[in-house]
Amino acid sequence: MHGFRQHLPGQRALLALAVLGLAGSTFAAPPADMVPIPAGRYTPLLRSTKDAPQVAVAAFLLDARPVTNAEFLAFVTANPKWRRSQVSKLFADSSYLENWTGDLEPGLKAPLPAPVVRVSWFAARAYARAAGKRLPTIAEWEFAAAAGYTGPDGRKDEALNRDLYAWLARPVPAVLADVATAKPNFYGACGLHGLVWEWVDDFNTAMVTGESRADTGLERDLFCGAGSIGAKDTGDYAAFMRSALRSSLQANNTTSSLGFRCARDVTLTASTP
Amino acid sequence: MKTTTVLATLFLATAGFTLAAETPANAAPPEADACCAEKPAPKKDACCAAMAAAPFRKESIYQLDVTFTDDTGKTVPLGALRGRPVVLDMFFVSCGYACPLTVTDLLAIQGRLPAELRKEAVFVLVSFDVARDTPAMLAKYRADRGLDGQWVLLHGSDDAVRELAALLGVKFKQEADGAFSHSNLVTILNREGEIVHQRQGLQGGLDEAAAALAAAK
Repeated sequence: MHGFRQHLPGQRALLALAVLGLAGSTFAAPPADMVPIPAGRYTPLLRSTKDAPQVAVAAFLLDARPVTNAEFLAFVTANPKWRRSQVSKLFADSSYLENWTGDLEPGLKAPLPAPVVRVSWFAARAYARAAGKRLPTIAEWEFAAAAGYTGPDGRKDEALNRDLYAWLARPVPAVLADVATAKPNFYGACGLHGLVWEWVDDFNTAMVTGESRADTGLERDLFCGAGSIGAKDTGDYAAFMRSALRSSLQANNTTSSLGFRCARDVTLTASTP
Repeated sequence: MKTTTVLATLFLATAGFTLAAETPANAAPPEADACCAEKPAPKKDACCAAMAAAPFRKESIYQLDVTFTDDTGKTVPLGALRGRPVVLDMFFVSCGYACPLTVTDLLAIQGRLPAELRKEAVFVLVSFDVARDTPAMLAKYRADRGLDGQWVLLHGSDDAVRELAALLGVKFKQEADGAFSHSNLVTILNREGEIVHQRQGLQGGLDEAAAALAAAK
C-alpha cells in the first residue's frame, strides 16, 4: 500500500507526459485531487451490431477518489435546494442522504472522509457542475477502471481481481470506509473498485427493460434501434453487474452503495512559438 | 437562484405532507392553485400570468431549470409550457423507424381532441440529435410533416436533453452510425407540468392518451 503511494508521483508524471505528448500543446496541470487518464480504447460490454467494437476515449481528468461526505456537505451547505429536507422528489428519491443525521450533519453513519452515497444522478450532476466538472461517461469510467494496480490492463492483475471479487462478495457495510483506504490503480485513481458503485453521466443509455424476459427478445416497440444487442466478454462478471445496476436505475434513485466521482476534459492550450 | 429560494419555501411549507413518491401522479395535490386549475374562462390570460409567478409544484417537471430553442430560433425555458396540457415526445429528425410513427400517432391524438382542447393542447417534440437537428432542420421537419401552430419543436444542449430524458425515464444512446436508439415513450403533462400519463411502445394507446389529456388539469 505504502509502496504504491511512493512510486505514484513518478508514474503519474509519466502518464501526464503520455497525455500531453502532443506537439505544440501544453497541458494545464491537473488539480491535486484529479489524475490524468490517457487516451485509449474502450470495448463496450454490450453493443448493437451497428456499433464499432471499440470506442475511442479521449484523454481526460478523473477525480482520484470518490466524492466524500465532507465534500458533499460543503455542496449542500452552499446549495440549499440539494439539502435532504428541501430537494424535490423528482430529483432525489425519499432515501436521499438517508444515512445522514440531518440536513447539514452527516453524523456517525456517514463519516466525513467516507464516500457519499444515497445520492441521485441529478444531485451528482449538480455537484459536478458546481465544481466546474462533470460526471464521467460509461466509456471513460470503464476505461479508467479497466486498469490494474500495475498496468493498464487489469484483466490479468490477480491482486486487483482478488480485491474486486472479494468486495463484490461482501455485503455493504453499515459504515463505509474512508476514501483514503482505497488503493490507487495504474493511473492513480483510487477506489474505482472496492468502495462504492459510481454514477456515470450516460447511465440511461442501456436499452433494456426491467423485465428480464423482455430483455432477451426484440423490443422494437419499446426501444427504437434496439433490435440487436450482444455482449463481448461474458467472463467479465463485475462489468455485467455494473451494467445491470446502471440499467436498473432511475435518475432520482439513491442507494446505500452508490456514490460518484467527477471528471473534466483535458484542457490543452496551443503553445505560442 | 430565485427559483431555488422559492422552491425551498414551497418544500418547507409542505414538509408535513406525505412523501411525493407515495402520491399518485394524477391525484389532486394537497394545495391546488385555485387559479388555473379552474376552467380557463375569458380572464385566462390574467389568470395564467398570475399563476406563472407561483412556484412550481413539487411534482412538476418544470422545476428542471433548462432552456431550449424552438424552430424559429426563440429561446424556450421548459417552464414556459406551463398553463397548457402538453403531449411530449423525444425524437430525432432523421429517425427512420419509430419517430415518424409516433408523430403520426400524435397527429391522430390531436385529431380526436374536442375542439376546445385542441386549441389549448401543445404537442412538443424535443430532439435527441443536438448536433444535427438545428432550429432550421426542425422548421423543415414542421413543414414536411404539416405540423400546425399547436406544435413546439425544440432543440437543446446535450445537458438539457439528457436531463429531460432522465426525468421522463427516456433512455437513449447515439449509435456509431449517428442514429439514436431510444425509448418510445410519449408523456402527457397537465397544466402544471406534472406527468399524468405515459404511453409506452408504438401500439395503440391513442384513446388513453387523448383521455389523459382531456382529464389533465
